[in-house]
Amino acid sequence: MKSKLLLAVTLLASVICTVVPGGCKKSAPAVKPDETFGAYDTELDWNDSAKLTKLGYQESQGKRIFYQYCVWCHADASPAGPSNRSNLTPVPPLLNDGEKLNGESDEFIQNIITLGGSALGKSAMMPPYGNTLTATEIKEVIAFTRAIAQPPYQKPGRPGSQYTAE
Amino acid sequence: MPAEDMGKLSYRMRFTFAVTTVLCVAVLAISPVKDFRAEWKKYKRSFVKFAQGRPDTKKLLADYNPNIDQIWLPGINVVDRCTTCHQGMTQASLADTSLPQPFRAHPPIPHNARDWGCTMCHRGQGPATEVAEAHETTLAWEQPILPARYLQASCGSCHHKDIKETPQLARGRELLSRLNCQGCHKLSHVDRPALGPDLSSVGYKVSREWIYKWLKEPRNVVDKDGNVTVTGYESGDEFRMPQFRLKEEEIRALSGFLSVQKAKPIETYKINPAVVAAWSKKPDLLPQAEVRFRQMMCTTCHPLAVTRAGETKLIGGNIGPELTKVGSKVNEEWLVAWLKNPQGYLAHNNMPKYGWSDEDLYKVSQYVMNKLTDSDLLTGVPQLGAPSEDEIKLGKRLFTEKGCASCHGLQGISPQKEFGPDLTALGAKNASELEFGKAKIPHNLPAYIQAKLQDPVAVNPAARMPQYAWNSADLEAVTTALLSETGPKATSALQHLLIPKDDASFQAVGDFAEVYERYKCYACHRFNGYGGTLAPDLSYEGSRAQKKWIADFLKNPQTIRPTLILRMPQFNMTDKEAAIAAEYLSMAVQKPGVNPESVSAAQFTPAMVAMGKQLYEVKYQCQSCHTIGGSGGYVGPNLNNAGNWLTPAWIEAWLRNPLALQPDTIEPKRNFTDDEISALTAYIMTLRAGTNPQASKSAANAQPLAQGAGR
Repeated sequence: MKSKLLLAVTLLASVICTVVPGGCKKSAPAVKPDETFGAYDTELDWNDSAKLTKLGYQESQGKRIFYQYCVWCHADASPAGPSNRSNLTPVPPLLNDGEKLNGESDEFIQNIITLGGSALGKSAMMPPYGNTLTATEIKEVIAFTRAIAQPPYQKPGRPGSQYTAE
Repeated sequence: MPAEDMGKLSYRMRFTFAVTTVLCVAVLAISPVKDFRAEWKKYKRSFVKFAQGRPDTKKLLADYNPNIDQIWLPGINVVDRCTTCHQGMTQASLADTSLPQPFRAHPPIPHNARDWGCTMCHRGQGPATEVAEAHETTLAWEQPILPARYLQASCGSCHHKDIKETPQLARGRELLSRLNCQGCHKLSHVDRPALGPDLSSVGYKVSREWIYKWLKEPRNVVDKDGNVTVTGYESGDEFRMPQFRLKEEEIRALSGFLSVQKAKPIETYKINPAVVAAWSKKPDLLPQAEVRFRQMMCTTCHPLAVTRAGETKLIGGNIGPELTKVGSKVNEEWLVAWLKNPQGYLAHNNMPKYGWSDEDLYKVSQYVMNKLTDSDLLTGVPQLGAPSEDEIKLGKRLFTEKGCASCHGLQGISPQKEFGPDLTALGAKNASELEFGKAKIPHNLPAYIQAKLQDPVAVNPAARMPQYAWNSADLEAVTTALLSETGPKATSALQHLLIPKDDASFQAVGDFAEVYERYKCYACHRFNGYGGTLAPDLSYEGSRAQKKWIADFLKNPQTIRPTLILRMPQFNMTDKEAAIAAEYLSMAVQKPGVNPESVSAAQFTPAMVAMGKQLYEVKYQCQSCHTIGGSGGYVGPNLNNAGNWLTPAWIEAWLRNPLALQPDTIEPKRNFTDDEISALTAYIMTLRAGTNPQASKSAANAQPLAQGAGR
């Protein structure tokens, strides 16, 4: 009788072990957001200050590079105040200008940043950055461009799998 | 029992055996069943299904293996089975963030996961094969995954030297340094700045009432309705003096104690009475004084609240203290003595010793005392009068007990040793080692650090740490920097991975040392990695600029960059000082290999100049960034006077590779041919402005912020 009881307890215990998932989940702490929230891994929509775009690793690195090298001509304000954009003819596209940039392929943008405007028949005012930024860094800037594009950027090609993990 | 029944079992016994056997088999079967149902196998199987639903199935499943996958790096203690479930990690086609985890590709980072493992950066439990055990805190493992927004902390636990990829970490470290957290806490790989101002003679500088107000609410710019118009954050910078939780009698005692600190009398300076008599009667004294105050470029280092278009905000640099209400703070005698000789009051501070004329000194001090004031500053502060003996005694005790002495020097008082806890291994602490008190926060390390920073008494009612006002970006940055303080590495193999901070130092020698110290060049400029970052790095100034230009510039600084707001003040240097500085800078601080004498301007022919102009304007369109004669871009320095400013050797070296001379420059490296470089240099050397410093100076000063706003 005793052995049966023991067996039953063992069985029950094994069953419980298999079924119940381990660990209890705790939510992450919430920081009270203010206007500086996520200064490094989000970007405010340039036209709509209520909209915040979350950036992944690649995009946030792109943001850093953009604000060091590109912001001077491809935005309407620079860290130093006035933008250089209005000094230039033809006027350089804003980085979030989806209408202009969504139609260009990643390869084209990669090339124009690497080789400069004149190599691709565009304005020579765009200098080549291929000796300054690595190919990875240029890809990061492109990822940032795509993330902040207005209207939003759609990846070309076949739609991916509709499969979702549980 | 009958004999034939011997050795036979009863039916009942057989039944018991049968049931027991079946049960035993069933129990034994649990193990394989459990193994079959293991969580990781589920992810293995669903990855196959996932891959089959995509067009690139073959590529995705090329190195599929149904077993546990692990990265084993015995040299650095890594046994990471994360790739068992995170199977698409290296598949470039799975980079899209809309794809489901755990199959998404890892973003391309400088370290390859196969060489570094996963837990090195993400923390968590590497050998675990269950989701919860790998990612979360369990009874046996208290180092959960580091939330992605603090991930740069992991970079910082090896990279003690700042890297450009981790701006958040760098900002956190900068804050730890600027706020002098090391006054109370021990931290590794954070710079230790100068302490807060020495208070040995503060009784000569400010009144007891002002100290009372300051202790109560350290810094706010408040309008006349009592609304706070400027807090530290609107200037993009934090204030260094936090708010201490002090009782009324403690504030009275501390203010009393400090108001009697008069260790060294002020070196009073008497402004020529004739100057005072001449100016004090002029009705336009204050407007004139304001012009002079602006011309002195005080705001290059000191923040100042200004109201433009109904909006009040702080402008200016962050090297010196804010000046908005300083006229209601200091007494006039002290101010004049301070301006005349800052080192007379405090031996060590970053304020340059200007060569003031009596007229300027009078104008500027009048402006500060009459215009940078707030008549309501001390309303609500009781009339305190002279402190009693008891108050002074209590104040003295509190000065050490509250930690004031940890940041402020005061003659005769030494700071308490190890006032705050050692934080050098904070980032590696387990949650069970932390006191959460009654705080309603998740029991993990990042939440603890954030709660403690935001409100120190929330987690520990007895905390002595004062209250800082963080914005959320800085709060996360400081948390990241603290999480990177993971203490010494466990093994020597790990120890070898550390990338230490640069040990930067610069020693000025000879006559220049005196000029360098008097004008505090290092407060804004950097020399070989040592010094401020506000102004251009001067490590290679001798290769870059012509000696005569340096001397002229020091006598009469002009703005070279069109968009610059914070500009070099005019120190009224003597000719001799300017000559000493120019001599030293042009001889002693050169880029190896860029000898200013090595390229002679004599070799440039008119044909080269013409070709250079053509290249500048048409082929390379340099005018998109550089201005010549008022037209061109605002990105680079203007080249109006480049022929008198730069050395040909520098221009050639710069055109060859600007990054070698200034690694963070915006100007890209281009593939110019040698002929093109010579031609461009020849052309740039012909650019000489007819110098008319007076005209450009007054134009610049009239609208300091409107610079570059229009062509």
